[in-house]
Amino acid sequence: MNRALGRLVRAELKLMTRDPLVLTFVFAFPIVTMLIIGGAFGTSPDPAFDNVNPSHWYVASYLTVVIGAIGLVMLPVHLASYRERGVMRRFAAAGFPRWSFAMAQLIVGLATTLVACALLLAVAAPVYGIPTVHDWWRVVAAFALGAVAFVGIGVLLGSVLPSARSAQAVGLLIFFPSFLLGAGGPPPHVMGSAVRHVAGPLPLTLLTNAVREPWLGLGTATGSLIAIAAVAAVAMVFASRRTAL
Amino acid sequence: MCPRCLVTTIDGMKEFDVVTVRGLRKAYGTRTVVDGLDLDVRAGEIVGLAGANGAGKTTTVECIQGLRKPDAGALNVLGYDPVSEAAQLRPLIGSQLQESALPDRLRVAEAVQLFATRSARDGDELLEQFGLTARRRSAFSSLSGGERQRLFLVLALLNRPRLVILDELTQGLDPAARRDVWAAVRRLHEAGTTVLLVTHEMDEAEALCDRVLVMRAGRVLDSGTPAELVNRHAHHASISFTWPGEVIPIPLLDELSQVDGARQLERDGLRVTVRGDRGTIAYVGASLVRNGTVPTDLNVHVPTLEDALLSLLDPEPDRYAPVHARPRDGDELVGGLR
Repeated sequence: MNRALGRLVRAELKLMTRDPLVLTFVFAFPIVTMLIIGGAFGTSPDPAFDNVNPSHWYVASYLTVVIGAIGLVMLPVHLASYRERGVMRRFAAAGFPRWSFAMAQLIVGLATTLVACALLLAVAAPVYGIPTVHDWWRVVAAFALGAVAFVGIGVLLGSVLPSARSAQAVGLLIFFPSFLLGAGGPPPHVMGSAVRHVAGPLPLTLLTNAVREPWLGLGTATGSLIAIAAVAAVAMVFASRRTAL
Repeated sequence: MCPRCLVTTIDGMKEFDVVTVRGLRKAYGTRTVVDGLDLDVRAGEIVGLAGANGAGKTTTVECIQGLRKPDAGALNVLGYDPVSEAAQLRPLIGSQLQESALPDRLRVAEAVQLFATRSARDGDELLEQFGLTARRRSAFSSLSGGERQRLFLVLALLNRPRLVILDELTQGLDPAARRDVWAAVRRLHEAGTTVLLVTHEMDEAEALCDRVLVMRAGRVLDSGTPAELVNRHAHHASISFTWPGEVIPIPLLDELSQVDGARQLERDGLRVTVRGDRGTIAYVGASLVRNGTVPTDLNVHVPTLEDALLSLLDPEPDRYAPVHARPRDGDELVGGLR
């Protein structure tokens, strides 16, 4: 790894662990809400949940809540705050290449995703159990593409929004509807058709479908997987242009 | 001497030039911020960019560092073009930027590790030199204004830069912290480091700079050593005192108004003010001693760089035209404006 990039990644990883927003939104929020909602519908297979155990349905869904929180809240606020306060100018003036900062965010975002998801599964395992993965490669592919897509969206939002406050406002405004409609809220079968139509094309809904369906053996979700791959490609292209990656 | 400095892209650039700027122009939208600026900084100098807010000082140094792309002009910094060779140039420059910060939760020692390249100096030694050893484990957000500026200086010097750019270095610092920072800049100078100092504090420029460029509306109004600028634009010293007796002797007023270099004598009751060049101070003092009195409230104002800057930025007709009229009893103002 380039030495400047290595120094940035090490510093950013340390800073992540000291950031209350990260600890709250990326680590605590998905775990707490998964524990609450995962237990709300019992553990008996339910038609509303495609005849699977509702707890398992939510365990499989909540990995994408972590990914969404990182891409829609953590990274935009972090980057916009740096830009607003002149931190990025200082890094640039000190000789850090512009691409190194964006690359560091990509690495830190993906590393945080892995750690937060591992923690979520570690908490879920003794409480609800971890559902059997029916189609490993599709789940892993969807997870990886989704993580890249949302880190790209996060870097893009952080490079466009003018301040930390605006990033927080916009990030939360996108995150909560996405979370309720596409990942951690009620299952699509109990939603009205209008709400289902709104929820369907949201990136977090597509990602959740692409992870949950092959995981629980409900389908292949190939369409969602292709869509999330396209979102990843587009987000990375735009994020790269904005940050000279 | 840097071998790269021999590589010139600007006609007339000399091998000891660290920064050469010709015809720099930069606009933000329709607002022109830097307008045809020329600048030379030679190795080992401390050069000040002075002027009011909005004069284009910060934009100029940002272009020199390659942080902004000029609209027009030729720049050569340490032999590199800051636009096309920014990646090679930036590691050679140590900078303290105006209105920039570090991540709030980054600790002092971590900041030093983060910014240190392979060729970096001993960070602990620098922290000790700038009185930050006790704050090594403190988060950036917990540092005082003076400590932050000293940390920025540590980071600016960490990688043995050939050029140090300091932008509003002591803004917001208390007088003691300002003196500490000035002492640090003087140590840099003694070590032969070239410094480009952006400031609107004229006492700072006068105390630190070998040469000062005064800017207004993106142009250089004048440049020179602080003494040269003072002599050119603020040559009026003033000496004032209150006559200890009940009536000021007319012969004394007559004598004071005619001493060498005097340009104006002003009288307000028993209060007398004589304005003129610096030599006037000595002649007025001698006159007072000859007349047998040294007033206890004798006050001397020597022209400063701030006077020169104010005169440059807000030029007025010479108010103190040399008039040596004999003072008349009862005149409040003699030899100048009423």
